[in-house]
Amino acid sequence: MAAMNMNLYSRGDKLFAIAVAVLIGLFTAATFYPFIYIAAVSFSSGFAAAAGKVVLTPVEFTMDAYKYILTDSDFWRSYLNTFIYTVGGTLVSLLIIIPAAYALSRPQLIGRRFWNLFAAFTLWFNAGLIPFFLNMRDLNLLDSYFGIIIAFAVNAFNLILLRNFFESLPQSFEEAARMDGANDFQILWKVYVPLSKPAIATITLFCIVSRWNGFFWAMVLLQSQEKIPLQVYLRHTLVTLSDDQEFTATLSSQPYSAESVTAAIIVCSIIPVLIIYPFIQKYFEKGILMGGVKE
Amino acid sequence: MINDPKKRHAVSDAPRKRSFKQKLSWFVDHVKNEWQIYLMLAPAIIWFIVFLYKPMYGLQIAFKDYSIFRGVAASPWVGWEHFQTLFGNDQFIRAFWNTIKISALNLLFGFPAPIILALMFNEIINATYKRFAQTIVYLPHFISSVIIAGIVTTAFSPTAGIVNTILEWFGYDSIYFLTKPEWFRPIFVGTGIWQEAGFGSIVFLAAIAGVNPSLYESAVVDGASRWQMMWKITLPCILPTILIMLIIRIGNIMEVSFEMIILLYQPATYVTADVVNTWVYRQGLQNGQYDVAAAAGLFNAVVAFVLVMVANTLSRRYMRTSLW
Amino acid sequence: MSSVKLENGVKLEKVVKCYGKLEVVHGIDLDVAEKEFVVLVGPSGCGKSTTLRMIAGLEDITDGTISIHDRVVSRVAPKDRDVAMVFQNYALYPHLKVFENIAFGLRIRKEPKDKIQSTVEEVSEILGLTPYLDRRPAELSGGQRQRVAMGRAIVRHPKVFLFDEPLSNLDAKLRTQMRAEIKQLHKRLGATSVYVTHDQVEAMTLADRIVVMNDGFIEQIGTPMELFVNPANTFVASFIGSPPMNQFPAIVKAISETSMQAMVNNTAFNLPDNPGVNDGQKVIIGIRPEHLTLTSAANAASIPITLNLVEPLGSEALLHAAIEEHPVIIKTETHGNIDHLNDVSTVYAPAELVSVFDADTGLALTGHRTT
Repeated sequence: MAAMNMNLYSRGDKLFAIAVAVLIGLFTAATFYPFIYIAAVSFSSGFAAAAGKVVLTPVEFTMDAYKYILTDSDFWRSYLNTFIYTVGGTLVSLLIIIPAAYALSRPQLIGRRFWNLFAAFTLWFNAGLIPFFLNMRDLNLLDSYFGIIIAFAVNAFNLILLRNFFESLPQSFEEAARMDGANDFQILWKVYVPLSKPAIATITLFCIVSRWNGFFWAMVLLQSQEKIPLQVYLRHTLVTLSDDQEFTATLSSQPYSAESVTAAIIVCSIIPVLIIYPFIQKYFEKGILMGGVKE
Repeated sequence: MINDPKKRHAVSDAPRKRSFKQKLSWFVDHVKNEWQIYLMLAPAIIWFIVFLYKPMYGLQIAFKDYSIFRGVAASPWVGWEHFQTLFGNDQFIRAFWNTIKISALNLLFGFPAPIILALMFNEIINATYKRFAQTIVYLPHFISSVIIAGIVTTAFSPTAGIVNTILEWFGYDSIYFLTKPEWFRPIFVGTGIWQEAGFGSIVFLAAIAGVNPSLYESAVVDGASRWQMMWKITLPCILPTILIMLIIRIGNIMEVSFEMIILLYQPATYVTADVVNTWVYRQGLQNGQYDVAAAAGLFNAVVAFVLVMVANTLSRRYMRTSLW
Repeated sequence: MSSVKLENGVKLEKVVKCYGKLEVVHGIDLDVAEKEFVVLVGPSGCGKSTTLRMIAGLEDITDGTISIHDRVVSRVAPKDRDVAMVFQNYALYPHLKVFENIAFGLRIRKEPKDKIQSTVEEVSEILGLTPYLDRRPAELSGGQRQRVAMGRAIVRHPKVFLFDEPLSNLDAKLRTQMRAEIKQLHKRLGATSVYVTHDQVEAMTLADRIVVMNDGFIEQIGTPMELFVNPANTFVASFIGSPPMNQFPAIVKAISETSMQAMVNNTAFNLPDNPGVNDGQKVIIGIRPEHLTLTSAANAASIPITLNLVEPLGSEALLHAAIEEHPVIIKTETHGNIDHLNDVSTVYAPAELVSVFDADTGLALTGHRTT
């Protein structure tokens, strides 16, 4: 039961409630502070950033770090690539997962238990990094857009989540549609998909987030620099900047430094997420409830 | 009602066993009428086979002397040789123990964090404040590991980072945190909590919402405090959820979000930071020693699998809660 | 009357249904004539819904054949059987408006737009749904949703209508109202209908013929009055009629050449002429609560009872009593006053209304002329 009206609280309860509110406040502030910090660094001069003078607000305000980043064509290229991987990947995922989840939810499917186990098993055991990599190489999918899009398209968790949702819809919808003459594709597209908007929205969200933030395999599988997504670009830049002499700011005349440029890149990468974030809040909360712990 | 009648109206004497011909014709009708759902299922199954099951076939190189030129089938068997190499390799042994130690820390601090957070959120009275705090606290989950690592690296930077700035205010010398092995684990676990505790609390909040309100109401009448109710009602009622999440967590022990480790570690901190999967990454993907690395990966997966099985069985036997 | 067979309609021959090793429908035969309204009735688990779904094609038939209008459809997909079904929970598509719900089947079959429009409007007119065509199911009452479900079925002009307990989800008052509407609809449309319910009152009021099922068997098929007056066995006797027929174990005693009595312990019941039983035979006799009449002790054929409880229902009252140790219920008119009922100590059972059943098999041994 959530907390009640404070008027009915005893003294001990009131102290407890205040303590909790303070602790939550501290944790919330601690969670948010790093973002404010990094934003402040990004708008600070190179010298101030490098010298560690930035605490909460920009010191020696300047947009130079951003100018450096936003004029880098590689940055924009990687942004575009991320869009390609995200949109392409999510579409392919939905195209494969939605019909499969529907099929798995139908009682008339022969070997249903087997197929479900077939999918669920992949959540518990996977062959590991090396076999996956070698497999991609054998399939000639290294260093390709298609490879990144297709090789991470299906995730048994999302499949099972959607399957459970389909199963929760009364069988009589399918039966009525069948009596009305619809075939399975029509039943899925005209009846089940419209009724499953929340669940589909949730897995779409999971797909988008995972694609947008995807780093490791993009780094391993892609060699051509023009195909790398944003996160890999970020990583490369962060690493090279901190080693690069050009960015070590020793003179106060330096407009930007490794730290401020790093911060600027980070801010640019976070912005899309921050923009979408308020809209998706209700979806992922519901989504957790749905996928929850049922596997 | 006395005595159901034995004789029935219109019962057939036909034998019930279906002939093979009947079963075959049923099957043919089934395919004729239902082929569409098999078509719907096919792409997913094919995908699983091509991308997740086929690598399992390739896993056999853990037992072979693998060479790219010969391919999997033609490479000769070497039995357990690679595993012997592994267990004789100091670095691997170290990586294994690091995996265990870091996971233990994660279990000790990282696992309770979302639970405590959920319990605290449950005690917040002002709905707006609660909503606001939740919004902020869920956010880091949606930020990529690269960005999180970038922020952490900047914040702990020896010359530029805020942490050292504050240390210097208090008169301490600055520390190059991310090169110091003894600092790696705390920073790593703390980063994990920052990124995942908030989002992770959603599951527990849902479980708390499912607790029967009358339990609380009768406790209130009996004079219990919120603190007591939290321990005596809330926690016991969400115990099944906690156990399930724990089992899932244990299944992930060997994973240890190695992506984040790669982003935060460096050779100087390998001593405490290197885990099995990062070792596999370097040996396999960077140095090309595919077979030994595959053996290490297999070892990893098997240990994880066994752990989940054991955890699930124990939980089912003693707590009557299990994942399956 | 039930032996007259009309061609067409629905025909079940030796239909069997097994779930794995478990046989739930044991080879039933049924002939539904064209335009007939047949009700399958029985307790939960008797197989009536399963049978209906087999006619619909939603369940496979393990053995036997089903024909619709002389065409064998046992292996045909539901959409090609030309049947329509009204589901217990209506199964209306929540995301579609009423118009689209009704039109769904027509759209699937790619009927021309104007034909869809006119057909749906016509059907809505019949069902009184025209003002609701733009609403979604969530905005409708239970009775309205029920009508939409029927509209969806009617609009396809099927050969057979199937109803799967459509009134179970409605409250009692609505149920009575909808019952009458369904009956009127059937009169108007004249379509072959198979209707499943567990409520024997619905069965009695709606059916041309009733099929009583129990445990996967058909107990009896007949018109409502046939079942009421001449139940084929004790199961049907206690299923049809409310309150159910009183039944007592008895032993036959011959009084003379033609007249016999049944002795329930030491109480004598007069049996009808030519009962078809022998002296000393063990039987079960039955008499309906409404057939027991109040009488004075002076009547030679009176049966003594011990009265336990009087339940007033308004114009009628139920007397809960016992004959020797056997519980008995008597239904009698009150004429506005129940005081005199408290003194009732004897009842009279007219011989011609007493049913006799075999004690072992429960089968009826006497037949009554249908009045």
